[in-house]
Amino acid sequence: MSRLARLRGTALVLPGVAWLVLFFVVPLAIIFVVSLGQRGALDRIDLSSPNLDNYARAFDPIFLPTFLNSLRYAAITTILSLAIGYPIAYWISRYGGRRKALLLILVMLPFWTSYLIRTYSWMIILRDNGVLNSLLQAVGLTHEPLILMNTDVSVILGMTYGFLPFAILPMFVSIDRLDSNLLAVGRDLYASGRGVFLHVTLPLTMPGIIAASLLTFIPAIGDFVTPDLLGGPQTTTIAKNIQELFLEGRDWPYGAALGFILMIVTLGGTLVALRTLRREVVGS
Amino acid sequence: MSRERNPLLTAFAIAVYAFLFAPVVVLIVFSFNSAKRGLAWKGFTLDWYPTLLSNDELLDALGVTLQVALVAVLLSTVLGSLLGLGLARIRFRGRAATETLLLVPMVTPEIVMGLSLLLFFLQLFDGRGSVAQLWVAHITFCISYVAVVVRARAANMNPALEEAARDLGASAWGAFRYVTLPLIAPAVLAGALLAFSLSIDDYVVTTFNAGVGSSTLPLYIYSKVKFGVTPEINAISTIVVAGTALAILAAWRLGAFRSEGRTVIDDDEGKPPR
Amino acid sequence: MTDRYDGSTIDLEKELVRYMVERKLSRRELLERIAAVGSAAALAPIIAACTTGGAASSSGASASAAAPSSAAPATASPSPTPVPSPEAELFIYNWTDYLAEDVIKSFEAKYKTKVTQSFFSNTDEAYAKLGDDGGGYDLSFPISVDVPSFIEKGAIVKLDKSLLPNIKNLGTEWANPGYDPGNTYSVPYMWWTTGVGYDSAKITDEPTSSKALWDPRWAKHISMLDDFQEVFGLALIQLGHSANTDDTGELDEALALLKEQKPLVRTYSTDTITTMTSEDVWIGHIWGADRFAIQEINENVLYYIPEEGGVKGSDTIAVFSGAPHPIAAHLFINHILDAENSATNTNLIYYMGPNAAAKEFIDPAILEDPTINPDQKIVDKLEELLNLEPALRDEYLKRWQELRA
Repeated sequence: MSRLARLRGTALVLPGVAWLVLFFVVPLAIIFVVSLGQRGALDRIDLSSPNLDNYARAFDPIFLPTFLNSLRYAAITTILSLAIGYPIAYWISRYGGRRKALLLILVMLPFWTSYLIRTYSWMIILRDNGVLNSLLQAVGLTHEPLILMNTDVSVILGMTYGFLPFAILPMFVSIDRLDSNLLAVGRDLYASGRGVFLHVTLPLTMPGIIAASLLTFIPAIGDFVTPDLLGGPQTTTIAKNIQELFLEGRDWPYGAALGFILMIVTLGGTLVALRTLRREVVGS
Repeated sequence: MSRERNPLLTAFAIAVYAFLFAPVVVLIVFSFNSAKRGLAWKGFTLDWYPTLLSNDELLDALGVTLQVALVAVLLSTVLGSLLGLGLARIRFRGRAATETLLLVPMVTPEIVMGLSLLLFFLQLFDGRGSVAQLWVAHITFCISYVAVVVRARAANMNPALEEAARDLGASAWGAFRYVTLPLIAPAVLAGALLAFSLSIDDYVVTTFNAGVGSSTLPLYIYSKVKFGVTPEINAISTIVVAGTALAILAAWRLGAFRSEGRTVIDDDEGKPPR
Repeated sequence: MTDRYDGSTIDLEKELVRYMVERKLSRRELLERIAAVGSAAALAPIIAACTTGGAASSSGASASAAAPSSAAPATASPSPTPVPSPEAELFIYNWTDYLAEDVIKSFEAKYKTKVTQSFFSNTDEAYAKLGDDGGGYDLSFPISVDVPSFIEKGAIVKLDKSLLPNIKNLGTEWANPGYDPGNTYSVPYMWWTTGVGYDSAKITDEPTSSKALWDPRWAKHISMLDDFQEVFGLALIQLGHSANTDDTGELDEALALLKEQKPLVRTYSTDTITTMTSEDVWIGHIWGADRFAIQEINENVLYYIPEEGGVKGSDTIAVFSGAPHPIAAHLFINHILDAENSATNTNLIYYMGPNAAAKEFIDPAILEDPTINPDQKIVDKLEELLNLEPALRDEYLKRWQELRA
């Protein structure tokens, strides 16, 4: 590749990189410094003897169950979002015709209401005497109300609901640019629609699936409001612990250290998964 | 592959749209609930809408929310699209680092990001929270989302297309405007949509970066929870949704977005059969 | 009367100040010491001494990243001598619906000052933002037990009483609260209790003990507050300990008790108005004042202060050291202390205020309600949740996170 092309690449990414360095990396560096300090008098931050004690302290087994909760919810949410989102993205792209953009906006429209009110609406639907239980009893499927609110079911439902558009949109943009000539070739090559899908469509739309997984899994790991509002006694997540250390413990250095550990674990896992996926599935 | 509509798939799609809109329907219905708070239906009233119009705090918060969202969407879409495009198409030194950099804001717990910006503005600019501080914060957490989406679209994009345009005498800008941009347009739209919904719903980062007179709707609504959410909030959500829906419908009738979904390499495949 | 430290003034002040300064006592140690000598009204000069210490430590911490103001002002500096012509604006940091709209409107009309309220949804977030000088706001409503640390940090200023003639309306029992003797830095606003709410249609045997929250008959229909001090406070009081115990053995006992309860709990939530009216929860650990909003939706819900004793708390109003509009802030406090305005606020939010003169304007239903305006005998059994010293707070939080994991 020519030097000019390289320069152009740099020019494309430069403004965004500069922005992120200034308004993300620098602030993050401040918080990193904080994580090396101790909580001092009056809950101020004492940086007189910076060390890694908070990091050592943060490897506390009490955070393991909540971390596993986060991981479990994020994994299930991602799988459900992909499984529900892909067919929808495919449907919009293939059959949306001139209404594609409109259908896409319709996917997003519910999310322009307030998060909190949407979540309260789920409570109205899911509570013991709520819309869903009334329906189930009316059609005779159940006789007693099912306990849905404040369980894993309500948390996973709420999270899947919240992250579904983050899966649908990137998969749509990827499916939508499939070259139909390729599909035609695929049809000649593999007789069945299933064969075309497995051997042509799916691999070619992998970038979209990867992007969808990223946009779902990563934020889902950090979600604590949904498990908090829709969940029960067993649904605490690691992000809630971090929040508590900062705000209720008022121990910013400790909270920051636990935050950084979570970030490194998530980032490391993501990069490894990305590399594997790109090598195995997309090929190079 | 069959060119006919797949009825099973269409049924599934309708079910998913129903799922997406279920809480919105409930939300709208409960904006007419006469009970002041709570999850139970008590009776029909229209009272919450006029009340709303005299609630200055709520209307101010709505104004700030929309203003911040607009700025955040515009800037993060531009910056994020360029990043996504650069990452997808061109190999350059520091590409892996840039890619990682893009992921870090997404893995950062919201409270860490919120407090880091709070400290940053306080230490460097003596910032006490302002609308401008919210612009910066929101742009920052939106960029990655836009970039990831655009990158997914531009991945595997054939650079030969743009080169061909250049060979045919197009300027660099011309090649970008007439070849690349139409190709990534759906992703840019998708990224902007995601950025908008992230911005108008953000609570944690916003709470630490808002100041006097820059309260947003989520801050207002969350603060209400101590005394239970009132149907007034449902009413304002209803107005926002109805307003956006009408605006979109009007824009669509006028012909906006109609060609957005098509790409230069698209053929009739994407159109529904007659 | 909600003040635990009240007592007659004994002239041990100087002794205590010296003790403090020489031995750098923590506030808790200090309180223990005061309790030991049987007096608690002697705090003011000690807090002044603390402030000096605080200012010193703040200059030490100004290099640190989190001291939100590099210019942490010494509170010992004399309060400004403002002239009573208020600034054109006033910035209030507050809960929503905690001040009656009419009270704000009448203030704006009277002083031609525009009031801008910003809202927070929990005090922890609010405190994180306020830093050492109020973060650009003029006044807020800190919880009484947090007032000493605000004073110590230099975050709030000595009130200019010449601007607060209405302070005379305060009941005598509020004249000298332990957290801020003489109301030097703060003025009490409202006070409340924490107890148990239950749906009397579902639970008919009129519970009186907090043990009802452990009753397996209500399994999966029990809610607890999502607040570690409140939850541990309730368990500790049930066990006969102090709600602020510093005995880790007692804390472990409380944790065991709460772990026993956990399988029965439907949710831990602070939005009790929603949970208690959802019909999913029949009995819940709630803030007393919330029950009025609950009863508007479900009149069967009743509230009681557990016979073992309960938790009480109070909010104050204070002016920040960085207040851009200190005069307007003082005048606003004075406005709130007005008897009728205070009653207007109480009638809106169902919290009892400290305003004796307001009583004639308060809805009799509120005045006569034993759960809002309880008997002195019950009040005596209530305990205030203290602002725990950091190491002790960690002990609570660690156990709370273990409970919730």
